[in-house]
Amino acid sequence: MRDPVTTVRPDPASPDSPALKADRADDAFNVLIVGVGGQGVIMVSKVLALLAQSQGFEVKQSEVHGMAKRGGSVFSHVRFGKRVWSPTIPKGDVDILVALEWAEGLRWLPFLKAGTGIFICDTKRIVPPFACLNRRPGAPLRYSKETPTEVVTHVGEAYAIDATDMAEKLGNERAANVVLLGALSTALEFSTTDWERTVAEFVPKKTVAVNLEAFRRGRGWIEEARNTTPAVEAPVTRTPTPADAAYRVRLEINPVWCKSCDICVKMCPEHCLRLNADRIAELAEPERCTGCRLCEWLCPDFAIRVHLDSAGAVAQQGLAQ
Amino acid sequence: MNAIDTALTGKSAVKLISGNHACALGAIAAGCRFFAGYPITPSSEIAERLARRLPEVDGVFVQMEDEIASMAAVIGASMGGVKAMTATSGPGFSLKQENIGYAAGAEIPCVIVNVMRGGPSTGMPTRPSQADIMQARWGSHGDYPIIVLTPASVSEIYSETLRAFDLAEQCRSPVVLLYDQVIAQLSETVALDGAGHASATRKWASGPRAAYQPYDGGSDAIPAMARPGDGYRTHTTGLTHSESGFPTQQPEAVTRNLSRLFSKLERHRDLIDSSEALHCDDADVVIVAIGISARAATRAVEQCRAQGLRVGLFRPITFWPFPEKQLRQAAAKARAVLVPEMNTGQLRLVVERVLAGVAVEGLHLFSGEAITPSDIAARATALARGA
Amino acid sequence: MLIDTAADFDVRDYLRKEMMPHFLCPGCGHGIALRALLWAIHDLGLDKDRLAVVSGIGCAGRLSAYIDANTFHVTHGRPLAYATGLALARPDLHVVVITGDGDCLAIGGNHLIHACRRNLKLTCLMLNNEVYGMTGGQVSPTTSETRLTTTTPLGNQEPHFDACALATAAGAGFVGREVTHHVPKLKELIKAGLEHPGFAFVEVQSDCTEIFGRKNDMGSSSEMIMRQKSEIRPSAYLDTVDTPFRSNALPTGILARNDRPEYGATYRRAAAARKGAS
Repeated sequence: MRDPVTTVRPDPASPDSPALKADRADDAFNVLIVGVGGQGVIMVSKVLALLAQSQGFEVKQSEVHGMAKRGGSVFSHVRFGKRVWSPTIPKGDVDILVALEWAEGLRWLPFLKAGTGIFICDTKRIVPPFACLNRRPGAPLRYSKETPTEVVTHVGEAYAIDATDMAEKLGNERAANVVLLGALSTALEFSTTDWERTVAEFVPKKTVAVNLEAFRRGRGWIEEARNTTPAVEAPVTRTPTPADAAYRVRLEINPVWCKSCDICVKMCPEHCLRLNADRIAELAEPERCTGCRLCEWLCPDFAIRVHLDSAGAVAQQGLAQ
Repeated sequence: MNAIDTALTGKSAVKLISGNHACALGAIAAGCRFFAGYPITPSSEIAERLARRLPEVDGVFVQMEDEIASMAAVIGASMGGVKAMTATSGPGFSLKQENIGYAAGAEIPCVIVNVMRGGPSTGMPTRPSQADIMQARWGSHGDYPIIVLTPASVSEIYSETLRAFDLAEQCRSPVVLLYDQVIAQLSETVALDGAGHASATRKWASGPRAAYQPYDGGSDAIPAMARPGDGYRTHTTGLTHSESGFPTQQPEAVTRNLSRLFSKLERHRDLIDSSEALHCDDADVVIVAIGISARAATRAVEQCRAQGLRVGLFRPITFWPFPEKQLRQAAAKARAVLVPEMNTGQLRLVVERVLAGVAVEGLHLFSGEAITPSDIAARATALARGA
Repeated sequence: MLIDTAADFDVRDYLRKEMMPHFLCPGCGHGIALRALLWAIHDLGLDKDRLAVVSGIGCAGRLSAYIDANTFHVTHGRPLAYATGLALARPDLHVVVITGDGDCLAIGGNHLIHACRRNLKLTCLMLNNEVYGMTGGQVSPTTSETRLTTTTPLGNQEPHFDACALATAAGAGFVGREVTHHVPKLKELIKAGLEHPGFAFVEVQSDCTEIFGRKNDMGSSSEMIMRQKSEIRPSAYLDTVDTPFRSNALPTGILARNDRPEYGATYRRAAAARKGAS
């Protein structure tokens, strides 16, 4: 069974399709690889750059990285051809956009060559902390709402792959980038042997086997997708979000133990606690409480216990919006 | 087969050993399985012996970073349920006092050996003294009960070490074994019969946790102790506590619990008391002495008796609580009392109080030398002749 | 699915509830540290019957009375020495020491360095609030320079001890520090300490709001906690040069770790070898 994907097949009528001949005489060939810190964006671009170099092309690779610890946006430009002048790709000149994360892919779509650009994107969603504007259970996220179907119809040739899931099934989630590398390989005219040799040289010895398998899976997936009519569509399965929690928060406050220090009131990120007329802590705005437990943990008098009661259907409704 | 092994296997052995050696053997025979100490003359031989012997009987020896830590570790081991001991001399004894008070207040059994040397301060480390009599009783702050034993021979050091552990366990009290440098390092022929000794065991908590009160003295004023791991999960503190073991300053609870503590040894005087009276029944002059001074006095009594003088000797073996009744009985017919001791009058002070109205004369030596039999005999003779 | 690993820990399961509320002042960080300790104990599934807590004198020393375990409140400065005896005599017990900055570094400083050196399996939790709180607010070995206390009316002019550096230099097998603000991190640190096979020293930067904070105009407990949080430099970032930490920031996290042989086991092994040979 195929992994959940969305594909738009290339239009056979288009003269440039499949467009990408690496030995095009004059223009450099442009690949943009994007993702989130820690996913392996640089690895994909290095393999591609090494391979292109070994085939006799002049290669320029330029990147923004160092965000690995922060989960920040990372991109890498790879340009190769007979002569390459600028290290970066102008907007609208990207031949292939490889995205290791869904929203990052959307972010860079405008760089893709109109009509002929190829979009290869993992449907993996990494929700950044600042997209969680509200910590309440069930609160909506500020994350791109576009579905793969909506996106791929706007692009000449697009592949939305659940590469992370495929890699996980191989036993190593971190090989998702190599799955995408395999997908990328179908769009370039380097030989499979050369690709696999470069991958094997680049990855740690212990992981050669799993990475080669990941490469083949990615390659095989694209080839199958190209031959499938109509385009296959399935829902994106895994979208881990804090909003998944189905619970209702209840605070148990022991007035005999509370010493009115008001640490809970001052430290609550949602400012939903207060001291009552007897200077005992109470939950003034229960609807704002996210159940983060900070008050329970920081109460020096053990006077607060946070209960996250399962609220089943109620919370599910909240999620549905 | 060495002496210890013999003592442990039940065959009695006769050995020429020093007082400190006898103390170490007595400790092993009594079931002591933990020793923490700090080197100090003239007690270090006890530590050295036990450092070799304890690991052979699954015990633990540890040399701590200081005298205070040694006392603390001993109490810690005893709180864990293991019979424990330390040994020291004057300066170290001073340093241990706060924790000895803790053991008395929290009622943790332990044995402290103090080999007395000359003082004050660093004094004369290799010379004998008997000047820690009062410190052994009153050294720690506040009121507290304590048992102090004063053996006078190598053989008695052995038997009193056995008794020290028994009393500590039975009465849940620190017990001080107090003897001077002379008998500590004197070698004598000793018969070791500790193997036949049935060591006393502590009264351990039993029964349901809910009903257990860690400091309920029960019928004998000695509370049953909870051993960690037995499920009682009690609190032990040096703060004044109620029967529950938790701190209290409530006057009734304080009075009730401290009264039991202060009087508990009195309830067990039959167990604790030990003294010896030699020729006291008809004595005109009674000599009261301990340790090496009592040995010299024994010789003096014999000399006086040979001359027809009615001179006797009273020797406390359990020094604290002081055998007052026994002394009054021994000195019932005495006109005069002579107290030879290697200090400026600590024992004399006790005797004067116990025998109020009787002429008490001290014979005090603090030169770092032991008092000789002839010195004592000369004074006793003069007293007996009414001089 | 809700991921809430804290849900199954209820601190009340580890407290002597009949002793509560505890005697600490409002806002005292020691209570937060106590929670972290009990949470770590819960996470490791330690048997309360086999847990022994030894504490000294001072505000920190009082905490043992609230823990539902075998607890020993001993003399000033000596809990490590008592614990050494207890742990050597009863290797089946898990022995934890709770001490304060005065108890551990001033009157008990000798025991600390030798406990570090000896490397007997003990976990020493030092609650550092920079002051002798119980006695009314006198200067302690960890009081920061210039701070006012009842015995430094001119401002403290003595340099303060870095307890973790001291413990590390003395050879402690495990050394770590955390502030009370990071309760789960503090819990994890204490847990690592409890799991360490040898001597583990964990310093908790606590706050004394009522006495020290008031005297030095440091604001409410929450302000003191936030100030401590802002002063840390976690060990994970110690070597980074591009982070905005000040050079004098307080190092937190696991600061030292070595696998020297644990003393108790070494002693027992040697004893067994001796017995076998004779």
